[in-house]
Amino acid sequence: MMRSLLLSLAAITVLIPNAKAETIDSVLSSENGSLGVTKSSVGLVDDMAFIRRASVDLIGRIPTLQELKEYQAWPADRRRDMLVDKLVEHPRFADRWTVFFADLLRLRSNVTGGSALIAHVHRSIRDDVPYNEFAATLISTNGKAGRSPEVGFILGDNADPLAMASVTAQVFMGVRIGCAQCHDHPFDVWTRKDFYSVAAYFGKTRRFESNFTRVVYTSEGEQTSVLWPPEDEAEESERKAMVPSFPFPMIDAKEQPEFIVRYEQLLKQQADALAARDNSPSLDDLLADADGKLEAATGSGINVAVAEAREEINKIDVKASLYKRSEYREALADQITSPRNRLFAESFVNRIWHDLIGRGFVEPVDDFREDNPASHPETLGFIADEFVASGYSFKKLVKSIVQSEVYQQRQVPLGVNELEQEELEAAFLATPMRRMLSESLYDSIVTAGHLFDVKYQTGENEKTIEQEVRVLLAADGEPEQLVTADVQDLSGGQPEMTNQAMAAMDNGGAGYALEDAIELDFDALLEEEDEVELDRMVAKSQEQLEAERMQMEEQRRPRPGMKYETKIVKRTVDDNPRFSSALRMATPAPVGHFVRVFGQTSRNDLGEARDDNPSMRQSLMMLNGRLTHEASRVGSLEPVAKYLTGEKPQLDKAIELVYHEILTRNPSAEEADWAKQIIAEAKTPRDGIADLRWVMLNSNEFRFLP
Amino acid sequence: MACNDYKLSRRAMMGATSASILGFSIRDLLAYSGTHHEAKAEHVILFWNGGGMSHIDTWDPKPGRPTQGEFNPIDTSAPGVQISEIFPQLSKQMHNAALIRSIAGTQGAHGRASYNLQTSYLPGPNLRHPGVGSVVVHELDNHSDLPPYITISGQAPRASYLGQKCEAYYVAAPGEKDPYLAFPSDITQVRGDRRLEQLAKFNKRFLDKKNDTRLTSTQTSIEDAVRLMRSPALEAFELDKVDSKTLERYGDTNFGRGALMARRLVEKGVRFVQVNRGGFDTHGNNFPAMANHGEVMDPALASLIEDLSETGMLEKTMVIMLSEFGRTPRINDNAGRDHWASVFSCFMAGGGIQGGQVIGSSDEDGAMPKDRPVQVADIHATLCHAMGIDHEKEVMTPLLRPMKLVDNGAPVMELFS
Repeated sequence: MMRSLLLSLAAITVLIPNAKAETIDSVLSSENGSLGVTKSSVGLVDDMAFIRRASVDLIGRIPTLQELKEYQAWPADRRRDMLVDKLVEHPRFADRWTVFFADLLRLRSNVTGGSALIAHVHRSIRDDVPYNEFAATLISTNGKAGRSPEVGFILGDNADPLAMASVTAQVFMGVRIGCAQCHDHPFDVWTRKDFYSVAAYFGKTRRFESNFTRVVYTSEGEQTSVLWPPEDEAEESERKAMVPSFPFPMIDAKEQPEFIVRYEQLLKQQADALAARDNSPSLDDLLADADGKLEAATGSGINVAVAEAREEINKIDVKASLYKRSEYREALADQITSPRNRLFAESFVNRIWHDLIGRGFVEPVDDFREDNPASHPETLGFIADEFVASGYSFKKLVKSIVQSEVYQQRQVPLGVNELEQEELEAAFLATPMRRMLSESLYDSIVTAGHLFDVKYQTGENEKTIEQEVRVLLAADGEPEQLVTADVQDLSGGQPEMTNQAMAAMDNGGAGYALEDAIELDFDALLEEEDEVELDRMVAKSQEQLEAERMQMEEQRRPRPGMKYETKIVKRTVDDNPRFSSALRMATPAPVGHFVRVFGQTSRNDLGEARDDNPSMRQSLMMLNGRLTHEASRVGSLEPVAKYLTGEKPQLDKAIELVYHEILTRNPSAEEADWAKQIIAEAKTPRDGIADLRWVMLNSNEFRFLP
Repeated sequence: MACNDYKLSRRAMMGATSASILGFSIRDLLAYSGTHHEAKAEHVILFWNGGGMSHIDTWDPKPGRPTQGEFNPIDTSAPGVQISEIFPQLSKQMHNAALIRSIAGTQGAHGRASYNLQTSYLPGPNLRHPGVGSVVVHELDNHSDLPPYITISGQAPRASYLGQKCEAYYVAAPGEKDPYLAFPSDITQVRGDRRLEQLAKFNKRFLDKKNDTRLTSTQTSIEDAVRLMRSPALEAFELDKVDSKTLERYGDTNFGRGALMARRLVEKGVRFVQVNRGGFDTHGNNFPAMANHGEVMDPALASLIEDLSETGMLEKTMVIMLSEFGRTPRINDNAGRDHWASVFSCFMAGGGIQGGQVIGSSDEDGAMPKDRPVQVADIHATLCHAMGIDHEKEVMTPLLRPMKLVDNGAPVMELFS
């Protein structure tokens, strides 16, 4: 309730600009000057490269032909800004950035409260919930898994205080204090005692599980479980409750930096607007109303009545009594998300910058410490200050980076040696080569191949498939019963998110199952009145899966004394495949799944980075997989099909269109000739276009951003 | 140093640098300096039995005790070594194999025990340790067209901080076709080859315009994939090429086919093959279940050892069968046995292991180790030792925390004498 009010307010309040009218580009350029950088930018990408880069980065897929045409029709001097404005409001923007947060927060659908948390993150991005507010609720909320989606964050680590200390510091401040769990930090200032003092904020929080309903929730216990000195340093009797304290640096309360003044002005503006605008009765209004009636009835003083009424309401608040608020964690959340804690804003800005620019000011992104300073502290500080002053608006932050010139740089030109390349990229004067995220790569192939929708007429693509069945012969040698058959489902309907489907994938799957994406319905996950279905799903254990597989195996195994005959049975299917978005899949995807093979992490280890090294498995999946194969095939309902029919196919037009659709650029004359040659070698023009598309989808140019 | 060199610890890096200056590998140098024996094992076949296999009903029979249950012990080809009667064929191969009967486990829950037995570490928050197969292929070069680490009929543990290249290649069911090893069925060989040719041209044109090593490494991975697709070694996956008599000897079961495929894979140079099987969590009706496991495992394991030994491959191939833990000496009211980690056994053969011996023993009821207790990490250290891998070597995690390849532990040296 409160959140949605704030949101609508964010839309009407005017951002208070900084006094000096600085921009990311101006600050970076002057900082590069003072750092002694003499080189200049390698230049900006052209319009087509820009829409490809921005679309993949902001909405997780390449642009469609229609989007490209719309963009090209906009006024040349404004089209890039217009595009960015459009993309941050695109429904896929939240899908794409949920993946970012899922990596950061290690979101897993298969842990208690995990799916609801993913849906919550998705909604928060969509609604541009201020990042400080978002983080504070994750750190401090107690409640029931699923119902209070935020608790999924601490349930992810089973509310273990020591784990939560590492996670919270690393995720929200980019500080690896976890190293100090076992010993004083080897390369940093943090001591073991610092670590335990942070852990102590989580010391009273407990994970509860009802024996009857299996409902999992968090609440506060009486005693802290975090004791000092640590187990290995002292006898049990000497260990005392650790008092929480916050060891990280904060801007002194006496100082009033400009960005904090602006942030506070913004808050005041929002509060004023709230007071002026809000006509609907709030809790306070209702109380006041009740007070009024009470006063009228009793004639007693209003203050006493308010206090009593509040007390009454508190008494009946089941949530408050069952899921006790964590005062410790609320205090921690206040400290972490305070505008005076620069690590909070800077570490987040640095992560987003790393994702969009390809290189963080601080690398690795979660290792902020004195010995590892930012390459451009002023620029990082400037963006972080603007982020705070904007009211921690994620969308505004992304927009400001993508609309800057830094984002729009080209890659280094040919002939630049490695040393120079490093120099240019380190100064943000050229963009490093970046590969698409695995999920974006998947969705881009689906987009390029028109696989989000059916691309064939019904019945056009009928196919006879053969399946092997084992037939049990009765004593007289006559068939008695069909045993089992592995039939690959080619029906192409939207698959349901079911235990079986996930289990099948977890188990490696039959055939091409490792390329399926099964979308989650985020809204449904949040609207579920009770425990979220998926939480109960709790992926089957390896043993269960194994037992089930063994059972199936047993059934297929010939039994002694019985005779079997193998028969080939033919079946007709309409092969009109459709694929779903990998951005909305349950995560992490099963091991061996396309998105895992291309770098999605297990979401298990803190600080685990995506491995973007190419591997043989990736190549096998791309060269031989069903996704690239189906994306290459030309459907009769596709735009390109009309150029390929009739007496004289319009190959030039077809080739140009394929280049636009798949690579977002025009073909050169040489390339058009090469493409024609491919088509000439194929059986039909349609096969030829399929070959051309297959080559493009498999190419480096496709998977690396321009 | 087969993969992800950059993740080596600084200490190892220094070792590697000095070693390469002298023109020797680290292994050669260690052998040279006399701190290291000559490693015999080049391949491992690990049978992973999920669920916790009863030690008493397999490798450590207790005749005459109430815990014995329904199976009698039988003599084997190793003088003085008896195993359960569920392994009649394997009993004739025990002169080639060794047993450890005194593993002192500490974990009695499936998840933790399985983690411990497969990684040597205990699970902790925020970090996952790599499985032993990943450790092996991280340390040893690949000499085959085939992936160096293959898991059959189930997943292997993750490679975690050792990197994607140390992940196991997954075969869902031995004998079933892996669709990713060939072009889709409606693409002819000629057409597929033409596509590959054009792809190389297209990528080359792109590379000529760009300036990045990452593009060449992608090309290398495509070339690796194509080499695999065209490799005659792929034949090792194709069990339909095996004569029916051999298939029958191993048993017409997933496990039998898995053991057979494992043999064919190591013959083609694959470093580490894991064959998975579950169904050992026999809380009820332990005896019929174990009899059935015997029927399935006995012909496969016996034929594997026999064949490897005949061709001389056993010398350089370590075969090892591990499970999560053992099962209770007490037979419960459901005629089952429950989890028992305090003592259990494992089976090992080949790769320099002296056959026909038993290491350690459990007490008269198979409840606690009696002598020569062996820790779980000792088994991992033993495996590394057999392959010439320094089990104490450190690698760096993403948080730059040095981790040993094996969580301490010492090789069981008696196995090799």
